[in-house]
Amino acid sequence: MGNPKLADVYAELHKIADSTRTFQRLLTTDAKIAQTPKDVIWTLNKAKLYRYVPVVPEEKRHKIPLLLVFAIMNRPHVLDLRPGHSFVEYMLKRGYDLYLLDWGAPGPEDKNLKFDDYTLEYLPRAIRKLKSVSGSDEFSMLGWCLGALIGTLYAALRPDDGLKNLVLLTAPLDFSDKTAGGFIRWTTNEAFNADKIVENLGNVPGELIDYGAKALKPVENFVGSYLNLWDNIDNPKVVESWHAMNTWVRDNIPMTGGAYRQLINELYRENRLMAGKLELRNEPVQLSKLKANVLTVIAENDHITPPCQSEGVMAKIGSQDKEVFRVRGGHIGIMAGSGAEKNTWPHIDNWLAARTD
Amino acid sequence: MSENNDVLNLFDPTGMLKSMRDANMDAWSKMMIQLVNTDAYGQATGTMLDGWLTSSAPFRKMIEKVMTQVLTNLNMPTRADVISLAERLANIELRLDDLEAKLDESQRAARKATAGPKTKPGTADKQP
Repeated sequence: MGNPKLADVYAELHKIADSTRTFQRLLTTDAKIAQTPKDVIWTLNKAKLYRYVPVVPEEKRHKIPLLLVFAIMNRPHVLDLRPGHSFVEYMLKRGYDLYLLDWGAPGPEDKNLKFDDYTLEYLPRAIRKLKSVSGSDEFSMLGWCLGALIGTLYAALRPDDGLKNLVLLTAPLDFSDKTAGGFIRWTTNEAFNADKIVENLGNVPGELIDYGAKALKPVENFVGSYLNLWDNIDNPKVVESWHAMNTWVRDNIPMTGGAYRQLINELYRENRLMAGKLELRNEPVQLSKLKANVLTVIAENDHITPPCQSEGVMAKIGSQDKEVFRVRGGHIGIMAGSGAEKNTWPHIDNWLAARTD
Repeated sequence: MSENNDVLNLFDPTGMLKSMRDANMDAWSKMMIQLVNTDAYGQATGTMLDGWLTSSAPFRKMIEKVMTQVLTNLNMPTRADVISLAERLANIELRLDDLEAKLDESQRAARKATAGPKTKPGTADKQP
């Protein structure tokens, strides 16, 4: 090892070996995510309602509790990704009485569950429990992706149920533009048969949905993400963040066949919600009946829910107090990316705080 | 890994990879995004998925049939039995939740009823 050049080569090889081990570990292990303390206060079938342990004294807390509702085909852990970078932690510190509805992973016995069931069976029951525990007749709701769709349907169907504020994140509601993004192009193509998928598979496997989401940006998702990790493998902050996000992304859950069929046929293809023709349990969904205050957050670079799918609905809802907030970023990045704490979270907090006391 | 991309370092294969990637990645990415956003891609994936479902369905059905026969002969519950049981459990949970809701409601009403007279002026001294 007396030759300095040989020592350099050795050091470099050693470094590559270390990096390879770290890389392998990150790909094959799970990071600790969703660690904020919480209690289960209600369960029904696979669904659970959690109440996060408040960190602010009761007298300093906002009076109206906030319910978080995530999509039905992903775990909600992305809302509480890791300590120091968690929307849940952020909102708790700002004095919200925070609840999370986790839909859980559906089994074969749940294959017929539709948005009707999620919106009119599960969600109202969870809300009843929330009201009972919090002692408040009013509440705010934050829905993300299909959670925002369910939140919108609920708000329109049950306008007098105490929902005061509705925050919609990247909400897929308006499917009038059939060329806006890959999902709508694929699923409205005549060769795509949602009924056949459901008849054969029952529930739609999480892996299939995950593949579809990743295939919208194939190079970034299948190659770029890993190369970016390799480039920054010496940077603990980047590594920790990547590991947490990858842990969440890998944890796929199926989507119930009934809801999938409804999403593709009635929403993506027929755009029934915007056309005023959507019915849940024979109740017509009229957006004009929605009267809660609404903040819709749009990700400008969203390839899963293009901005046009969230914008159009604002003209149709009956709310007097409504706002559109545009953020630079993607479908997940606006809430879980490094800029979320400076842009999206404070805006949601300020908007809610002004309407919560 | 490799911070200086101008110098070709044979002992830094990732550096070489990064140089190559930086030159091509953006264009490759844009091309692929354009590709997946075409109707032709939608048609192709839809057709492939349909073909896979059609060709695999007989095998799935056959496996399901064989498994059902084996489990029945072994006096063990089949998939359909377990699903049916799970559905019944979910229904029982719904009924329990209904009961809990009614209990909550009556408890709340009882609390209101007992709290009501106390708040009326002049009646507090009549409380036990």
